[in-house]
Amino acid sequence: MAGVCCGVVAESESAAVVEQASKSSRRRRMEILPFMLVSDAAVSSPLENGRKRQKLDLDLDLVLPASPRDCDNAIENSESNQVNEDREINEGLNSYGTVELVTETEPPKFGLTSVCGRRRDMEDAVSIHPSLCKLSCEAEISSDVHFYSVFDGHGCSHVAMKCRDRFHEIVKEEIEACGGGKSVDWKLMMERSFERMDKEVQESTTVDDKANSNCRCELQTPQCDAVGSTAVVAIVTPDKIIVANCGDSRAVLCRNGVALPLSDDHKPDRPDELIRIEEAGGRVIYWDGPRVLGVLAMSRAIGDNYLKPFVIPEPEVTITERTSEDECLILGSDGLWDVVTNETACGVARMCLRAQKPASPPMSPASDAAVRGGGGGTESSDKACWDASILLTKLALARHSADNVSVIVVDLKKNQQI
Amino acid sequence: MASDDQLLQRCFHDWMAIQEQELKDLTQALDQNQTDGNLTENACAQLTHKSLNSFQEYIDKRAGLSRQDISGLFSPLWNTALENSMLWIAGCRPSIYIRLTYALCGSQVEFQLGETIQGLARGSLAQVSATQLRMVNDLHMRTIKEEEKLSSQIASLQENIADQPIAMVAKRLSHVGEPSGEVDRALDEHEVSMSNILQEADKLRLSTLKELLGILTPLQGVDFLAASKKLHLCMHEWGKTRDSRHGRK
Repeated sequence: MAGVCCGVVAESESAAVVEQASKSSRRRRMEILPFMLVSDAAVSSPLENGRKRQKLDLDLDLVLPASPRDCDNAIENSESNQVNEDREINEGLNSYGTVELVTETEPPKFGLTSVCGRRRDMEDAVSIHPSLCKLSCEAEISSDVHFYSVFDGHGCSHVAMKCRDRFHEIVKEEIEACGGGKSVDWKLMMERSFERMDKEVQESTTVDDKANSNCRCELQTPQCDAVGSTAVVAIVTPDKIIVANCGDSRAVLCRNGVALPLSDDHKPDRPDELIRIEEAGGRVIYWDGPRVLGVLAMSRAIGDNYLKPFVIPEPEVTITERTSEDECLILGSDGLWDVVTNETACGVARMCLRAQKPASPPMSPASDAAVRGGGGGTESSDKACWDASILLTKLALARHSADNVSVIVVDLKKNQQI
Repeated sequence: MASDDQLLQRCFHDWMAIQEQELKDLTQALDQNQTDGNLTENACAQLTHKSLNSFQEYIDKRAGLSRQDISGLFSPLWNTALENSMLWIAGCRPSIYIRLTYALCGSQVEFQLGETIQGLARGSLAQVSATQLRMVNDLHMRTIKEEEKLSSQIASLQENIADQPIAMVAKRLSHVGEPSGEVDRALDEHEVSMSNILQEADKLRLSTLKELLGILTPLQGVDFLAASKKLHLCMHEWGKTRDSRHGRK
């Protein structure tokens, strides 16, 4: 079956939601979701409310495996689109999706890849929401807030999936609760969001989700108490990058060729974490590496009730002022970082972003996806993010990463014409 | 009239001979391509098609033989101990194809990092695109799910042996191994179920391979098939060396 066309229009005041979450994707667990945004100048509509409306083609796939399963999903999608459930938008990832973004600046450029890799279970989840909400400042010109996150589950996949489905909504509510102005206390906002997310995870495993859970642990206690997820959440505003992290997924900023980690992995043997755990009455036992109580190889996570208070859901937050030297932001699960250094990742991403030529070979069926639309500056730059994420994933696989691999690459260069 | 065992042996040896021949053809095509770059998509598609056809013929033959001697297929005497130790429902795990794809597509990434970006290296598995990788991952997840289903079916069948009626008849018998019509009927029934599972597993192996080859470009497909056949034949030879090291024929 070739791609099924799903025209998805999300015209809520909060602009487009490009969402990774849907019932069908949850059923099949996470899949690799590489996509790119291609701005299509030909269809951009006139100015409206002083904002330029830009129509973005989420060009997600060209050829699909001819399996009845995918057809089902595609049908599900088109049906759900008709009833305008934007929750299902993302299944456009199996076909074509058109998302209308309302933005007064250029759209964010990013690429993402998420694969099961050498594991037999997929426990990574990725969630991207460009233009999650707006910040208004004195001049009443609002600016977009973009949301990027990677969750790496352990024990089972349901906590990571829950984070994927809910985290951005919580963050949006928390930002709006701050009045949405320039006065947002980012650190506090992130801490509150993580606390709420963790609370929701605890509650959901006790109540409603049990009936329709299809995960390995089937949400049975006590097993599901031993389930959790890392969370690295990046908020990108026009002048700041806010990263909140819990666990061993990581965000790295590439600035003028230098790799700057924006998060510090929460490993049980990190000196300050070790002290914190021991002061809480816990122990770090070396059992295939340092582990909290000999069980969990990270010192902070969402979920993991039975390891509280040693393992906490409290994030560390960094706030970085953006500069003109910023090139890209890379978010990844430990499937990437275990085998690829920050410096190498930045080097690879930078190379891809700087490459002007299309990188896919002519024989690859997907290459035309990227060059379609004319190959102007914006397209190739988006394609570059996409190339960077795939190349980093392939590099992780080549270096024998034994885990699921998830990579997001966000282009941070501002208004540059190539 | 050949015995069931002879028929099974012949089926296997024919299959291995076909593997060798196909490997030769695939390697030749790839080598030729290295020198003159003239391997057309059409030629690749023909090679892949031929290979899938012979796989189909092989599993059809196995399906027929499985009705006669399923136990013989599950514990093949023609395989080496090394190969038998890795069997999943009388063959390879379908998910192994995806593993091999990952290994192949990763193998040259480091070397090609520079080239990849320039778009110089063409057609090889190292050039798997994002869309292809997403589709391979999708296939991976579905294949694992199907594998797990069959694994749990075979687990149930294996556990059935220790239940009514076979276990109870065994307990009742006055002499160990005394013939029993009831047990014979139960074992016959068991063998039919095993044969059905074998056919399902073979179908999954073929459909996974087909789908994978559909995702890969024709040239990548030829690359993949050559690597997988070579691996298979190598395992057989390495198994022989190990067998003789342990004093097996």
